[in-house]
Amino acid sequence: MNHNIKVLCRPCTVCVRRTPLVAFVAALGVTVSLPDVASAQTVFTLPAPPFQAPFLPSVSGDWTLTIGAGGEYKPDFEGSKHALFSPVPIFSLHRAGAAEQFHGPRDGASIAVIDFGNLQAGPTGKFVSSRKASSYSELNGLGDVNAAFEFGGFIQYFPVDWFRLRNETRQGFGGHHGVVSDFSADFIVPITRGFTVSAGPRFTWESSKATSPYFSIDAAQAMATGLSVFDAKGGSHSVGAGAQVSYRIDTHWEVHSYIEYERLLGDAAKSPLVTVRGSVNQTTVGLGASYSFDFKIR
Amino acid sequence: MFATGETKLQTVKTVGIISAVGGQMTVATGGLSGLDNSSRSFPIDSWELDDLIVQRATAALSGRFQVKPVSYNRAAFAIVKDSVVAPVNLVRGDPFKALVKTEVSPQGLDAYIVITKAKSSIGGAGRKVEGVGYIIYGTVMESYRQIYALYEIRVIDGKTFDVIEKMAAPPLDNTGHVKLAGPSQPVDGGVSIGAGDGTDESLRKAVVDLIVRSLPTTLNDLHLAAVL
Repeated sequence: MNHNIKVLCRPCTVCVRRTPLVAFVAALGVTVSLPDVASAQTVFTLPAPPFQAPFLPSVSGDWTLTIGAGGEYKPDFEGSKHALFSPVPIFSLHRAGAAEQFHGPRDGASIAVIDFGNLQAGPTGKFVSSRKASSYSELNGLGDVNAAFEFGGFIQYFPVDWFRLRNETRQGFGGHHGVVSDFSADFIVPITRGFTVSAGPRFTWESSKATSPYFSIDAAQAMATGLSVFDAKGGSHSVGAGAQVSYRIDTHWEVHSYIEYERLLGDAAKSPLVTVRGSVNQTTVGLGASYSFDFKIR
Repeated sequence: MFATGETKLQTVKTVGIISAVGGQMTVATGGLSGLDNSSRSFPIDSWELDDLIVQRATAALSGRFQVKPVSYNRAAFAIVKDSVVAPVNLVRGDPFKALVKTEVSPQGLDAYIVITKAKSSIGGAGRKVEGVGYIIYGTVMESYRQIYALYEIRVIDGKTFDVIEKMAAPPLDNTGHVKLAGPSQPVDGGVSIGAGDGTDESLRKAVVDLIVRSLPTTLNDLHLAAVL
């Protein structure tokens, strides 16, 4: 399995697989020794845990911890014409030297259980936060939509190192019970040793059960809002494009930024919530900076 | 059941060392490489890297263990591949346990140190390299090369054939341009690729240097030996 599980996301970070275990070890941390002579970048050494589960790999070895902060300027809710800036923490932990797999801003958390190197597939998941009618004036009179958890599978293919095709198809639970399928393509161009640019088109298809909770307006809601009754069906949901840049300043510091644009399609675009109070144009901008350092568990 | 490898090693007195890392070198391309990401390999048996690894490991471990010479089917250890379906690897267990049982002589030592090829992803695409080789990595502005020697070490109980400890050799430092989860170094800093085949002495020296520098540290991290 070459994917790790992302704990807290940023667009182009790697993910964490054994975070809880290592965090526990770190919490036990009894001594911090001098930098190891064999690894010039190793900042400190933690003692190995006093036990080892037979079915888990040893945590001993060199690790890289990345911490940082970023921000994301994104629509208040899907279909909104207003946007809000919110902070995004950056945290990842992985074996030292492990290459950071390309990760798009819209990708869900995923693990490659089938890995041919350039073709990978496995489970994926995404969290969709709740939409409270009381939070935004445009939603007054509409019902709340609970948070949704989406679980499904992904497949991605790199015909060459600099081009990725990816699909995620997920079933929703909670706030919606429909199916969402995201398609993306990314050209990944290393400009110099530390500077990489990537960009490509996006397309999303959603079933009626995934679209309706967010874009339908029933009779009671129409009465309360003055908007027309609308029964949102599934189909093509959005089309757009995204781009990101990352720059590794040195072995420790990295900065990154991205922009994702999508134009709502189908019934999502036709909903009175969007045509009267919102916008079909949805843009998200993010940026962040992170610091990485190595430590050893022995 | 939850004893650490270090605890289990306290009862080990006699060990045998098996190495199957260095039969061939792979030249891989990555990054902005046109439409061709293929790799090529050439034999480097004449470099006798596995003999070198056994010699160096023996020297590092002799202070603590009685290192016994063992004979083994090197090819059997060298061709082991992981399944592309990760759960299969979990279910079938470590394939080297069975090989130690059937392909190594003599049996009955307290433990066997098995040194084999390790894998690492290159770039963001998830493509992997393993064992000994070098990467030609392209960007818009430049192209650069990096040599690597990726290996992992298992300590296998000679009686139960359970894996007591397992670890891949870590990166030596962060001097490489391409991130690799193992010993590597750029080849534009005084090391020439030359002919880029098994007759290239500078290439052999660079690989030997990586192994010689990383092996004591890795054995030390495995609680097997002190840093030399």
